[in-house]
Amino acid sequence: MAELDIRKPLPGITTEAKPFWDAAAQQKLVMQRCQDCRAWVWTPRPSCFECGSEHIDWTPMSGKGEVYSFTVIRQVVGRAASKAFEPDIPYVIAWVDLEEGPRMITNVIGCRVEDVKLGMKVSVVFEQQSPEIWLPKFKPLF
Amino acid sequence: MRLALEDAGLSLKDFNGQGLGVTIPTAYPQPFWPEEVAEILGITPGFLLGGATGGAGSVSLLGGMAAAINSGLIDVALCIGAAAPFSENFGGGIQPGDMRDWEIPYGTMGPNSKIAMVMRRHMHEYGTTLDHLGKIAVAGRYHASLNPAAYLRKPITIEDYKNSRLVADPVRLLDCVLPANGGKAYILASPERAKKLRKRPVYLKGFGERSNPSYGARAGSDALIMGVKDAGKVAMEMAGVKHSDIHFLELYDDYIIVVYLQIEDLGFCGKGDLDYFERTDFTFKGQLPIQTGGGMINCGQPSTAGGTLHILEAVRQLRGEGGDRQVPNAKIGLVSGLGVLPYGKNLGCCAVAVLGNEA
Repeated sequence: MAELDIRKPLPGITTEAKPFWDAAAQQKLVMQRCQDCRAWVWTPRPSCFECGSEHIDWTPMSGKGEVYSFTVIRQVVGRAASKAFEPDIPYVIAWVDLEEGPRMITNVIGCRVEDVKLGMKVSVVFEQQSPEIWLPKFKPLF
Repeated sequence: MRLALEDAGLSLKDFNGQGLGVTIPTAYPQPFWPEEVAEILGITPGFLLGGATGGAGSVSLLGGMAAAINSGLIDVALCIGAAAPFSENFGGGIQPGDMRDWEIPYGTMGPNSKIAMVMRRHMHEYGTTLDHLGKIAVAGRYHASLNPAAYLRKPITIEDYKNSRLVADPVRLLDCVLPANGGKAYILASPERAKKLRKRPVYLKGFGERSNPSYGARAGSDALIMGVKDAGKVAMEMAGVKHSDIHFLELYDDYIIVVYLQIEDLGFCGKGDLDYFERTDFTFKGQLPIQTGGGMINCGQPSTAGGTLHILEAVRQLRGEGGDRQVPNAKIGLVSGLGVLPYGKNLGCCAVAVLGNEA
């Protein structure tokens, strides 16, 4: 388990996103899926952004995906809260395409930044940030 | 703004009951800014419009104001893009929900992080190299060296570009736009009114806009395609022009890769056509002049007001006022504005205008 770090900016637990954070706390990755057009809906919202249907259900994901692209953060800039990430430098920000289709912005952890490659297979891990928030991150699948 | 008024032979009083368009800067994010501008200037507009599409705002204002003029609501409008991020910066205010909840908690560092991922993906899919991208940077700086109003005027080489320091791997310092304080203005009028103004008018021949474009499933779209693909098509069709009719491009340039993608997406070449970038001369004397005044990368980007620069440069070129960087026989130019980086996608607001010096 990661160290508890309450200084970093935390996501807001909105009404739409609460089921996601509840599942994440159980080490489960879930996303909304439209029961009418079958589209994946990510990030959380009240209705399907492909067809407008309100029949969208939280659905378990495999938690596997691949790196679509990434960057390495070597310097913090901008807002004051960015400072909280300084001890993590260098770290990887990635777009991970999940097996089912949706793309997440996340961190790739558990390997050297030099070892991250596009197309690399990864799987989800959860890092606790606060009592309620377990942030899904990804590590290489070896 | 004073320069724009002098150019047109108008005074502020001419805008009472007429149009005032103001871009909304991210550096000063308060919703009453257009009204505040009217108050600062001491005018009473009859149509007040905010350019609220982020960096695309200045080009969006062209379309919105033209619609108001064509409808007969007004017949002249003053459009302003001004921001002072170094003296009036309120930290971007409240972040969009996706950014607050799904990006910042991972330690993303603003637009650099996302554009870096776009750039790396393009290099991965198409084999694009720093030589291809650097050519854009070198051409822009060359034009800036010929523009007395540019900030960065010392010419650079491809090697300078390649050796500039990494900011957000693979984005380098010379990939990035230069933040600046600044303000610009232009005046838009009906053709009848424009003919009575001091200088020969430039015409808005076509306009297209696409906000929140998605190419593929919305949850995982192709991040290498920009909405200018469709906005540009609409604008060119409205103007009745083909690619070969367009003499120069002034493309929104927050990053070099963004200029590169737009040349592809506007259809001047196919996606990943590296050979096109190798053989094309992008200088004002070349086959496809771009960024003829050096763009925001060399002239500065005052927050989301920055895009107004491209409209002014296009007007200069079409009036033959380009000085040492004048595109020979420039009759038609294309201008773009881009704004907002939505979650998991490329730029979210894309506006394209085709300008010409004949009605």
